[in-house]
Amino acid sequence: MNETDLRNEIRAMLVETLMLPVTAEEIGDDRPLFGPEGLGLDSVDALQLVVALDKKYGVKITDQQVAQQVLRSVSTMAAAVTARPPT
Amino acid sequence: MQVSLVTGGNGGLGLAVGWALLGADPKNRVWLGVRSNRESAERLCVESEGRCRCVELEVTERESWAKAVALIESVDGRVDVLVNNAGAAEDGLLATMPVESWDRVLAVNLDGVFHGCQAVLPGMIARRFGRIVNMASLSALLAPPGQANYAAAKAGVVGLTHALAKEVARLGITVNAVCPGYVETEALAHLTPERRQAALMTVPMRRFGRPEEVAAVVRFLAGVEAGYVTGAELKVDGGIL
Repeated sequence: MNETDLRNEIRAMLVETLMLPVTAEEIGDDRPLFGPEGLGLDSVDALQLVVALDKKYGVKITDQQVAQQVLRSVSTMAAAVTARPPT
Repeated sequence: MQVSLVTGGNGGLGLAVGWALLGADPKNRVWLGVRSNRESAERLCVESEGRCRCVELEVTERESWAKAVALIESVDGRVDVLVNNAGAAEDGLLATMPVESWDRVLAVNLDGVFHGCQAVLPGMIARRFGRIVNMASLSALLAPPGQANYAAAKAGVVGLTHALAKEVARLGITVNAVCPGYVETEALAHLTPERRQAALMTVPMRRFGRPEEVAAVVRFLAGVEAGYVTGAELKVDGGIL
C-alpha cells in the first residue's frame, strides 16, 4: 500500500473508531490529534487508537511515551505502521 | 449469544455463575477458569452438552491469562463477559499475619482482577462491548476482624471497579462488583457450629445465601439489559449492611 493510501486509511479509521464529528478529509496529515490545537481527543480515545493500531496493523504500543509520539498525527501513525517489523 | 470466562470455576460460586450464564441463553458459551482442582467444573462441562469448557488459568500469572484468552478467542472468537470470581482467604490478626498470607491473598483477589481486566479489555474495546463482573465481598464494605488482608483486597477490587467503570463506560463496557455476604459454599462448611450460629444471628434474614442467588445477580449484570449499570457494587447479603 502506498503512503497516501495508508494515510487515508488511517484517517478513515480515526473517524470510524472514535466516532468523530469531522470528515476524514478534514484531518490533515500533520494536524495534532491531541492537545489544545487538536481534535479534542482524550486518554480514552488514545486507548482505542492503541487497540485499533494493534488489531488492524499489528503495531504494538506498550509504553506511554511511545504512545504519545506515535499518536501525535496521521503522519506519525503511518510512520509507525510502515516501520513495524515484518511478521 | 455471549461468550463468558468465569475464574475460580471449580468452586461453589463459580459453578453457580457458570450455570446461570449458560441458562441465560441457549446459545451462550461459558469457559470455566480452573487449575488442578477441576472435577466439579468438568462435570458441568459434560452436563452442558459442549457449551461449557474448562480452561487452565492461574489468575496471578499474566502469561496464563494471555494463553487462556487466546484459546477462547481462537475457539469462540471473543470474550464478552469476564467474571473475576477466583478468590483466596487466609485469615488471621494483622499484627501476627505472615507476610506470605498478605501477599497471597492480595495477589489472588486483587492482582488477579487487574491482570484479568488487562487481558480481556483490548478485545472488548475493539468490539465496543464488554461486561466485567468482579466478585468482591461484603468484607470490602464491612470488614470483620481477622480479615485485614481479604478485606483490603476486596475493598481494592471495589475501588478498581469504580475507576475502570468510568474509563471504559463510553466504549460499551460495564464494570460492576458483587458483594456477597455469607453464602453456602465450601468456605462456610469449615465454620464450627458455634461460629455458624453466631454468623447467622448477624443476618436479618436469618439464613445464609445460596450460590444461585449470587449467580442471578451476576447473570443480570452480564446481560444486555444491564447496559446502563456500571461502577456499581451490589450487595447480596440478606440485609446485613
